[in-house]
Amino acid sequence: MTAPADRRGTVRARPAPMRHLAPNALPVAMAVAVAVFALLEPAFLSIDNLVGIARQVAIVGIMAVCMTFVIMTGGVDLSVGPVLALAGLAAFFALDGGHPLPVVLLAGLAVGAAVGLANGLTVAVLQLPPIIVTLAMLSIARGTALIVGGPEQHLIRNEPAYSFIGTGSVLGLPFSVYVFAAVAGLMILVQRRTPLGLLVAAIGDNERAAYLSGHRIRITKTVVYVICGTGAALAGIIQSSQVHTALATYGPFGTELDVIAAVVLGGTSIMGGNGSVARTVLGVFFLGILNNGMNILNVPIDIQLIAKGAIIVVALSVAARRA
Amino acid sequence: MSAQAAPVLNARGLSKVYGNLVALADADFAVRPGEVRALIGSNGAGKSTLVKILTGAIVPTGGRVEIGGEPVPLGDPLGMIRRGVACIYQHSNLAPAMSVLDNIFLGRQPTGRFGIVDTRRQRREAAALLARHGIEIALDAPVGTLPTVKQKEVEILKALALDARVILMDEPTAWLASADVARLHATIRALRQRGVAIVYISHVLDEIFAVCDTVTIMRDGRVVAESQLAETDRAQVVQLMVGETLARETVAAARQQRRPRGTGEIRLRVRDLGRRGVFGGVSFDLHAGEILCLTGLIGSKRTELVRCIFGSDRFDAGTIEIDGRAVSPRSPVEGIASGIGFVPEDRHREGLMLDMTVTDNLVMATLDRHRRGPLLSLAGMARAGRRAIDDLSVRPPGGGTAVKLLSGGNQQKVLVGKWLALGPRILILDEPTVGVDIGAKAEIYAILRREREKGAAILMVSSDLEEVMTVADRIGVMVSGRLSAVHDAGSVGMDEIVREIGGGTP
Repeated sequence: MTAPADRRGTVRARPAPMRHLAPNALPVAMAVAVAVFALLEPAFLSIDNLVGIARQVAIVGIMAVCMTFVIMTGGVDLSVGPVLALAGLAAFFALDGGHPLPVVLLAGLAVGAAVGLANGLTVAVLQLPPIIVTLAMLSIARGTALIVGGPEQHLIRNEPAYSFIGTGSVLGLPFSVYVFAAVAGLMILVQRRTPLGLLVAAIGDNERAAYLSGHRIRITKTVVYVICGTGAALAGIIQSSQVHTALATYGPFGTELDVIAAVVLGGTSIMGGNGSVARTVLGVFFLGILNNGMNILNVPIDIQLIAKGAIIVVALSVAARRA
Repeated sequence: MSAQAAPVLNARGLSKVYGNLVALADADFAVRPGEVRALIGSNGAGKSTLVKILTGAIVPTGGRVEIGGEPVPLGDPLGMIRRGVACIYQHSNLAPAMSVLDNIFLGRQPTGRFGIVDTRRQRREAAALLARHGIEIALDAPVGTLPTVKQKEVEILKALALDARVILMDEPTAWLASADVARLHATIRALRQRGVAIVYISHVLDEIFAVCDTVTIMRDGRVVAESQLAETDRAQVVQLMVGETLARETVAAARQQRRPRGTGEIRLRVRDLGRRGVFGGVSFDLHAGEILCLTGLIGSKRTELVRCIFGSDRFDAGTIEIDGRAVSPRSPVEGIASGIGFVPEDRHREGLMLDMTVTDNLVMATLDRHRRGPLLSLAGMARAGRRAIDDLSVRPPGGGTAVKLLSGGNQQKVLVGKWLALGPRILILDEPTVGVDIGAKAEIYAILRREREKGAAILMVSSDLEEVMTVADRIGVMVSGRLSAVHDAGSVGMDEIVREIGGGTP
């Protein structure tokens, strides 16, 4: 133990393979999952199935990339599930009233933006903890959905334009996948190349310093919740279009946890600051691959839930070692 | 003095390498019972690395540590504490809502039957401890309600309750007023009497010469000198710490011609400014091209005053004029719009985004200038960052480095650079060199003088009198929320300022 510099790395340092693995934990975990599923069931790698995965993740994916900014500011939005349901209902009623498609979409998105605005203002101006504010909103929005939508399923029939959003495909890929790609691309651009993106990271890192640097913290915080609510509404539109139905109980309890899990798996710190929309997309696909692979292997749903939880913890603990 | 006694703590050939950075190279460090040893050096000299090895927080790349003559396993924080090595950090590690007694025994309360805390025994042991070391403190007071110096004493008690034989103190006086520094020093002397070894880490040479017996000087990850303080003097110590050029520059700074009232143009006019219950009746002018230093005790409300001028706090009486126009900034946004830059006191909590890059931090106050349509010009930001890094000699010079990896002095340069990017007409700095090494201090003074020459009006809060006497064109003294006097720097001596700070008549 007396040797100087040349013996570095030998004293209880992390073994070299682990160190290189850590920053790439998520891609490596994805590769392992893909390899295991492909070995056990070659059909996993069929084009149809891969396209299916992309389609399955689009809804959670859109919510997750929009949630990333909220979590980067040190917040969280638990109210995305009922917002998804509310937006579907709003779209249904707009369609029912015979309005043109742009109005229908606007109605759906506006509901999400409004809920996001309420969340954002409460968090930013009243300075209440986001987890409590959005938990309350989860309850309020679900109650509202139940009042508005009632217990029955609202079928969306003979609306080819609206149905195209969730079920149509272009060049062999579902249209919803293009929507996810567009939203993800836009959010990546916003994060990397706009003042908002930099400010979101700055607030999560040190809100007080961002304020003293002359930034309008309240506005920025409000905006990220509006983005998150609007994203959830977009997801709700796609969902209702996909299943031709609007229902007050869509986006059940647990939806928000899937979304948050994808963001956190992508390496965004739940404490705020560090984060990346691009890596959230990876997290979304990782969860999608797990779900799909276990379905293909006919793993019972109870075992699936346990396995998913365990894999999330393992993946996170490996990723945490990069610090 | 027990200079001949065997060292209680003896480290030999310690080294620590991070990637290609050698943080510590073959360092020897020993301290004997009843010795107060100063550990000094610029930021980045390797002090923190050495301390972290001694507390077991990190594992050295090489070397060994002996306590009481026996080699100890490294990288074992609990083991170090058990063997009697305690560390008192610059920032408090106490639980503020809990009582002094609970803090002293935190995490190792003596328990009776059924695992119930034996408070009577705690109280008995604590009282004995207080008596033995001549410290007076109310055991039931919540720690958060105590003055800072008392909190330091609680930390010392906590260490003593663990039978600490060596206490490392990292910048123990950074947040203390000068009367309290003397108090802390008295406590340290009492500990020395009882054979406790103290390692005193500080940038403040006055304190080192006042309380320490010996000194270890580090530079660039190496121990460059060890000596008895009685056999050396300040000039020699500074020389060893920073090398010749910076020492000369510091001297040059002191001799820099002073310019009270700068160009004569009044940039900031403050009249009868007040905030109820905090400060009141503050009036002064700040001129373009001058540095006005506000000095005083901690708690004399200087920070509160400058915050009101910047807009991050509100005032409720009096007026502020900038360039003859009345303003009352209600937020930093408005302060900045009036041309004010503000370097806050606590660079970690209020100044920097530690996880973000140097470049991101440097452009943080000037983002709007890098906007091209809805997007940011990343190239423009990188260019601005590079220019600032060169201007301020930030090291390491990479704009992509996370700020938390920089030394304190370089972090401070980044923070100052953020505001210089604004081209502020008024630059307010609150204790800009706390915890900054002498080398970086000299560089920061040079930066301030340069801005002054360019016509900026600089308002600086500082408790460091040597600093005030060196850089100020004029000196304002605040006592208990009142601005008691403003002097031209050349016409007043340090003794006079000291008397005023204490509340004596000018």
